[in-house]
Amino acid sequence: MAQHTFDFDLIVIGSGAGGSAAATIAARDGKKVAIIEADVFGGDSPNWSDIPTRALLHVAQVYDEARHAGRFGLRTTTLGYNYPSIRAWKDLAVKRTGAAGNKKFYESHGITAIAGVAHFLSPNEITVNRRHLSARHFLVATGSHWITPEIAGINSVPFYTPRTILEAMRPPKSLFIIGGGTHAVEIAQLMATFGTKVTIAEKASRLLPHQDIEVGQLFEKILSEQKGVDVLTHARVLSVGKDGISKRIVITRGGEEKTIKADEILVAAGRLPNVDLGLENASILYTAKGIEVNEFLQTSTKHIYAAGDVLGHDGVIGSGNAHTALLQSRIAAHNLFHRNPITPDYAATPELISTFPEIAHVGLTEDDCLKRDLSIKKAVAPLSIVARSNASDFRDGFVKLITDKKGIVLGGTIVAPGAGEMIHEIALAIKYGLTASQLADTPHAFLSWSEAIRVAASRLS
Amino acid sequence: MTDLAVDVVKRGKRPSELFARDKLHSSIVAACLSVQTPIRQAELIADTVCNNVLGWLERRPEVKSDDVRRIATKHLTVHHPDAAYLYEHHNIIL
Repeated sequence: MAQHTFDFDLIVIGSGAGGSAAATIAARDGKKVAIIEADVFGGDSPNWSDIPTRALLHVAQVYDEARHAGRFGLRTTTLGYNYPSIRAWKDLAVKRTGAAGNKKFYESHGITAIAGVAHFLSPNEITVNRRHLSARHFLVATGSHWITPEIAGINSVPFYTPRTILEAMRPPKSLFIIGGGTHAVEIAQLMATFGTKVTIAEKASRLLPHQDIEVGQLFEKILSEQKGVDVLTHARVLSVGKDGISKRIVITRGGEEKTIKADEILVAAGRLPNVDLGLENASILYTAKGIEVNEFLQTSTKHIYAAGDVLGHDGVIGSGNAHTALLQSRIAAHNLFHRNPITPDYAATPELISTFPEIAHVGLTEDDCLKRDLSIKKAVAPLSIVARSNASDFRDGFVKLITDKKGIVLGGTIVAPGAGEMIHEIALAIKYGLTASQLADTPHAFLSWSEAIRVAASRLS
Repeated sequence: MTDLAVDVVKRGKRPSELFARDKLHSSIVAACLSVQTPIRQAELIADTVCNNVLGWLERRPEVKSDDVRRIATKHLTVHHPDAAYLYEHHNIIL
């Protein structure tokens, strides 16, 4: 029987974290690979999200620490900043990733890189810039985009998204943020540090509603008391409109309507997968919440896989993170070309929020355990309990551990400087089924923040 | 709005053709008239739907005729669900 011939062994649609790893792995294995990018090569994380936000937050943290260093005997009266220079630093950090905006990065790996919008014509054929390309396999990793919530007048006023605000020429005098999730809190802290009067409106009862309750409460306190941010929980935005050169926002909170004026608006009310690429023509099942895949990341069309934000996966731990997309991309690359399929294990996938102090979480939250009707034990160790807190004069944070009745670690949340590094100890414990006693028995260096993990673990052992 | 230079790939082995706004407009008007919509209203709905489809096509130099039908149906459903049903299924109904 005659075999079909295809232009490529694999076409990857999207060059972000969900696509690039699979493309590189397949190319390294001698496959003929093409990668298609509709926006900027490298995807969201290095260009518009993780890297630039982190670079700006690093500057904000250094500035903030220096500003408040008078208590250590440092003279801080002449401290200032030049925002265009800070932006230049951010651009340098983005450029240094190598992958950001760099088509040659992929070509150097032997991958055919094409800029353009991919659209399926049939299960084995796509069109890009009127060029028809066929492949034996496809990986859809088109990511997600910021949504515009249905608010009266929202399309009549210009507004920022967490992507576009990073390109602002200077921090606005006042900023109204719609949404109280990860990006909203990061940008609220960033802008407030540089002097912006920030107001956050969140529908839920606390900031960061997907995290443990202690995290939201602590950050509400940090942002309002230290940065002068107005945190409006239980608040729903009814309408926005122009008011001279400013914007007028009408909200309802506790049954009362209130009007707030702000120079700029940031809409950070969630993301939706990019699924508008003719998936119907390839018989791929999807909803507005994402492409449907099985446990092997295979779509309803057997030779087409999907990875990253395009899967949506509201309930999956760690979804929306670049490292989760990378994990899925590696799994998809394996499953595409091997007969023994493997499944991604999300149980020990950490989440990190790049605020100061950092917020890191792994495993189950207390709410997750309640939903699953699990009997648990929990312990919270405030940072102020460890010696490092005294030496650094820093007290805002904690380590929270959750175990089952037998003491096996199920989840952990850390709010501390360097929480992103500390969390991996708890991630290891979750992955390998360690108990709180085993964590507590492990020596932790004196004067490290990690001592708080030992304290929390010892309370559960 | 003028026509965009968008190639529409037809079903089967028929050759591609350039997207024609007038053709889409006429088919939507016909669907609306089939469900007793007044002519002026049908034309206004068709104008709106065509503009929506053109907006969707802006970043796409090549699509399938099924895509045009799907997107037009999606927008037509907002304005006239009965006409949208007829428009979507006319191949089966007629």
